[in-house]
Amino acid sequence: MWFLCLIDVLKERDHESMQSDCETQRRMNGHVRKMYFQQFLEKAATLLYFLLLLDVNSTKSVVASRNQMCWENLQQSLRLTRLVNTETKTLFKEYKTYQGEAFQEGFCKAQGIRIPDPTISGLETSERIASIYTHIQAFLPHLKRVQEQQTDLQPPESPLLKKFTIVEDNSRRLAYCIENFYHSSFPNLSLPEPASGPTTLPPPQNVFQQKVYGCAVLKTYKKLLTNIINEQRTLKSRLRRPANAITS
Amino acid sequence: QIVLKLWILLFFLFPFFLSENMNYLVTAPQSPVVEIGANFTATCVITNTTEVTADDLHWNLSRTTLPRELYTKINTSALNVTVPIVGEKPEWLFCASKKDSLYVTLNKSRFIHGIWLKKGYRPEKPENLSCIALQEGDHISSTFSCKWQTAGRQTPYVPTTYTLMVKVLKDEMYNASTTKNSADVLMVFPSHMSLEVWVQAHNLLGTVESEHLKVDDANYFVKTNPPLNVQLIREEIFPTSLLVNWSHPIAPQYLHLKYQIRFCPRGSHNWSYVPLSDTDQHTRSFRLQSLQPYTDYFIQVSCKHTKKDYGYWSDWSANATMRTPEDLPERPSLWKTTADGVNGQEVLIICKDPILANGRITSFEMRIQHSHNGSWENERIPVNRSISAPRPEVTLLKRISLADKQLVKVCLAASNSVGMSPERCLFISAKPLGNGPVEDLSVSPHQGQLFVKWKPISDRSLTEYVIEWVSGEQINWQMVKKSTNLTAIKGPLEPFVCYRVSVYPIYATRIGKPASTEAFLEQGAPLEGPSINKSYTGYDHAELVWDAIPLHQRRGFITNYTIFYKSGKNTHAITLPPNSTSYTLKPLLGDTKYDVWIKASTIRGSKNSSSHSFTTLKYAPGRVEGIVVGVSLGFLFLVLMAILLCIYKKDVIEQNLWPQVPNPGKSTIGNWSPDNPLRAETPSEDCLSGMTVHVEGVRDIKQGLEEDKTSLSLKKDKYLSEEHSSGIGGSSCMSSPRQSVSSSDEDPEMPDNTANTVQYSVVVGPSDYKGQTPVFSRSESTQPLLDSEENPDMLGSGGSRHFQRFPRQSSLSETNQETHFKQLELEQQDFCSIKEDTEWTLASETQLADAEPGSASSYMPQGGGYRPQ
Repeated sequence: MWFLCLIDVLKERDHESMQSDCETQRRMNGHVRKMYFQQFLEKAATLLYFLLLLDVNSTKSVVASRNQMCWENLQQSLRLTRLVNTETKTLFKEYKTYQGEAFQEGFCKAQGIRIPDPTISGLETSERIASIYTHIQAFLPHLKRVQEQQTDLQPPESPLLKKFTIVEDNSRRLAYCIENFYHSSFPNLSLPEPASGPTTLPPPQNVFQQKVYGCAVLKTYKKLLTNIINEQRTLKSRLRRPANAITS
Repeated sequence: QIVLKLWILLFFLFPFFLSENMNYLVTAPQSPVVEIGANFTATCVITNTTEVTADDLHWNLSRTTLPRELYTKINTSALNVTVPIVGEKPEWLFCASKKDSLYVTLNKSRFIHGIWLKKGYRPEKPENLSCIALQEGDHISSTFSCKWQTAGRQTPYVPTTYTLMVKVLKDEMYNASTTKNSADVLMVFPSHMSLEVWVQAHNLLGTVESEHLKVDDANYFVKTNPPLNVQLIREEIFPTSLLVNWSHPIAPQYLHLKYQIRFCPRGSHNWSYVPLSDTDQHTRSFRLQSLQPYTDYFIQVSCKHTKKDYGYWSDWSANATMRTPEDLPERPSLWKTTADGVNGQEVLIICKDPILANGRITSFEMRIQHSHNGSWENERIPVNRSISAPRPEVTLLKRISLADKQLVKVCLAASNSVGMSPERCLFISAKPLGNGPVEDLSVSPHQGQLFVKWKPISDRSLTEYVIEWVSGEQINWQMVKKSTNLTAIKGPLEPFVCYRVSVYPIYATRIGKPASTEAFLEQGAPLEGPSINKSYTGYDHAELVWDAIPLHQRRGFITNYTIFYKSGKNTHAITLPPNSTSYTLKPLLGDTKYDVWIKASTIRGSKNSSSHSFTTLKYAPGRVEGIVVGVSLGFLFLVLMAILLCIYKKDVIEQNLWPQVPNPGKSTIGNWSPDNPLRAETPSEDCLSGMTVHVEGVRDIKQGLEEDKTSLSLKKDKYLSEEHSSGIGGSSCMSSPRQSVSSSDEDPEMPDNTANTVQYSVVVGPSDYKGQTPVFSRSESTQPLLDSEENPDMLGSGGSRHFQRFPRQSSLSETNQETHFKQLELEQQDFCSIKEDTEWTLASETQLADAEPGSASSYMPQGGGYRPQ
């Protein structure tokens, strides 16, 4: 930006100088003309040099600032992912407990249940981050549905419902953080819409099916969060740590 | 039909009511909320009438008509007023017409319109917003609490509402409204999320926001529970170390914590803090070092967000307690003191446990080397103490006599279960060794401690000082380095107790001469006043002696004594120096009761003794003796003067007492012819029967006589001898009463005899000598006497001198003898008048006492009878 502006300035300056030189040429001899021209060139070169230095420094600071923001956003999303992962693990444990003694984890296989795949897809970093975002967004309705089902199955004061709320709210915030991170890392790109369209929720189920569905959702979501953490660690290792960044 | 008529009536009357209720004046704005302190402008518009114009209008604020200077006329039908708003109470602002017309008067209510002014203050920005989120269970609580300070004022009519705003994401906001200065917001706590918090103050006059509190991590507001399961682990090989373990109170996924550890030994109330730089990590253990061995320690741990300035310190965890392992003890403190009741020749070797015993002392190993033989004597003093028993201050090790050993060297070591301490040795002698005492010793209390200061001794052999403090039977000491010249006494000191503090220089284990002084940790008023035990009273003074107040009741240094003594209503006071134990009060009044008491004062107060009373003497010592001696000397002087007077004026006295009597021998009567035969009358009882001698005044006279007894005694013998030699005796009526008495002395039968004796004359003693020369007033004639003188009986019994007096006595007329006797008998009382001048011959007191009044007042007929002369 600075550079473009400087070029314009130089062009204007050259035009004015040339007009002035023509007038001088009419009045002075060739030797004098050559001397003025050399002086002008020296001044222009010096000015150009300083302007280039300023532009480089400005670019450096912008890159550093962006790097800092990316780092912080990544750190924040990583901390939040860990927190949500921990909360989801706790929720998953309690969920199984609250479903009765006969309920086994073996029921919680996602086979036959339409739940988003926890695998993060994409080749480019931007695609993988976008995949993280879309996966989280895709799981939010499922979590909401499970909470609604559990609201019918559990007493209102059940701590399980409260933990569902915590996981949901923090997952929503996590999605926001991922979005922020994506925008800070790739300001010229926009997050793509889910390829498969809006999340489709399961049809009406019986109680056991609800329990199995909920268990499968939590288990899959837990896997997703683990995958996200691994992905973030990989990203973190690629990013250069800013000098003034705060360690987690 | 009735309903129809009513509807028709209402139809015709409606315009009338409408026009009747229409107001001609309208004010604006209506129901405004005005700011106190600002100006408010209102407009009054005249509508639907030309009866009044704007010039006829006026404004009233409540009951006060506003001045026209505040009015602004818009046109003929509109009038503005701008009024400053003061006061907080709402009030009416009226616009009314003042035109005095009939129409206006009749429709007065239609020419007035008002504005109800509600007053208030603009809200001001809340300040000092702070929020907190507490841990609840294993996560952060959903209750996010904030508080702030309200600013400005508000009125009840325009209240201010505060709304707490919490923004997590751009589309996730929470708020809570209140009229107080705190509010809670319920939300899933947004850990790791940025957060923006502010407070909005809002009322009818406006809205204002506080500063926005923006943080990049909501954990900035978290206060967690204290660390869990704080435990202490001791390791025997590290007697000065303890390992502290704990658990994180919350999962690290929420926030990372740093910790703070504090500890203190049992009995101490001062916590020691581990430097934060050592524990500012998300760790779960820490090793405490440089602790004292065998000491109980209390440890507490607290935690907080790792990031600087983030979060709040949690409360301290519960106490975790552990005792450090034992270690080798330090050197014990060895000292000596003089044994009681022995004059310095016996000393007690005493010691204290090392300051750092590092364990339980099981025994003391003592070695004593005597100077006379140089041999060492080993002794083991076991110490049997229970763990729970308090450690004694002083342990008595041994009593040694220094009578024949001038110097002993004592070395002492302490043992515990780990081993034996290094030895401490001390030379003990009957007299101090080494150089002189320290100088400028002073002891002063300061902040509950006694500080000892002295001028240090510059001696190379000086190794340390021993500070000893003694109170009654209790002794304690401490050792300080030789470079020390100011130290606080480290030991249990009690207030109001006098301590004798001594500083001993120690010269290479030899004890130098001490310097001592007394001090109180804290002074108070004496518990009792001095007791007055004696008072020696005199005539104008009294000496008081009192006992000093016992030390344990003195409670401070006596600054002075004040003696108060009171007699009647006057109280006098005398102030005495503190070392006084007696005082002589003077001048006092004699024979006066005094109440006296003594006040003993310290710098903190005073106490009076019980009242003591004494009475001064009536006479000064020697005054009575002086009076007696003076009186005696005066009396003696008078006697001497009388004697001298008698001696020197003997002739005059003799002449006065015994006037010159003509010698009858030389009288011509001696030659009287017998032609006139003597009518000798044998003394008969008849002649004496009527004779009464008046002796009533004898007793009175006796008193007077006794006074002259001394002077007369010189003559008494003489006269008595003459009287006894007289032949008249008790045989003659003419004999004097004295003679009669004398005869009665010799004769126990005398009362009977005298009863038979009758005198014919009354003896009148006009200043004659004690009746030796009684005057017989019977007759002036001496003739019969002269006759009787010639009587051989009478001559034989009469003395020369008495005999010479008879002529005078014989002047009594014989012819009138009986008549005179009767008269004398009747005129007994007349004799009393002359008794003072009468001097009777002194009879013995017993005789006088034996004499019955009746018998003494009259002469009984004498046995001898009266023989006519």
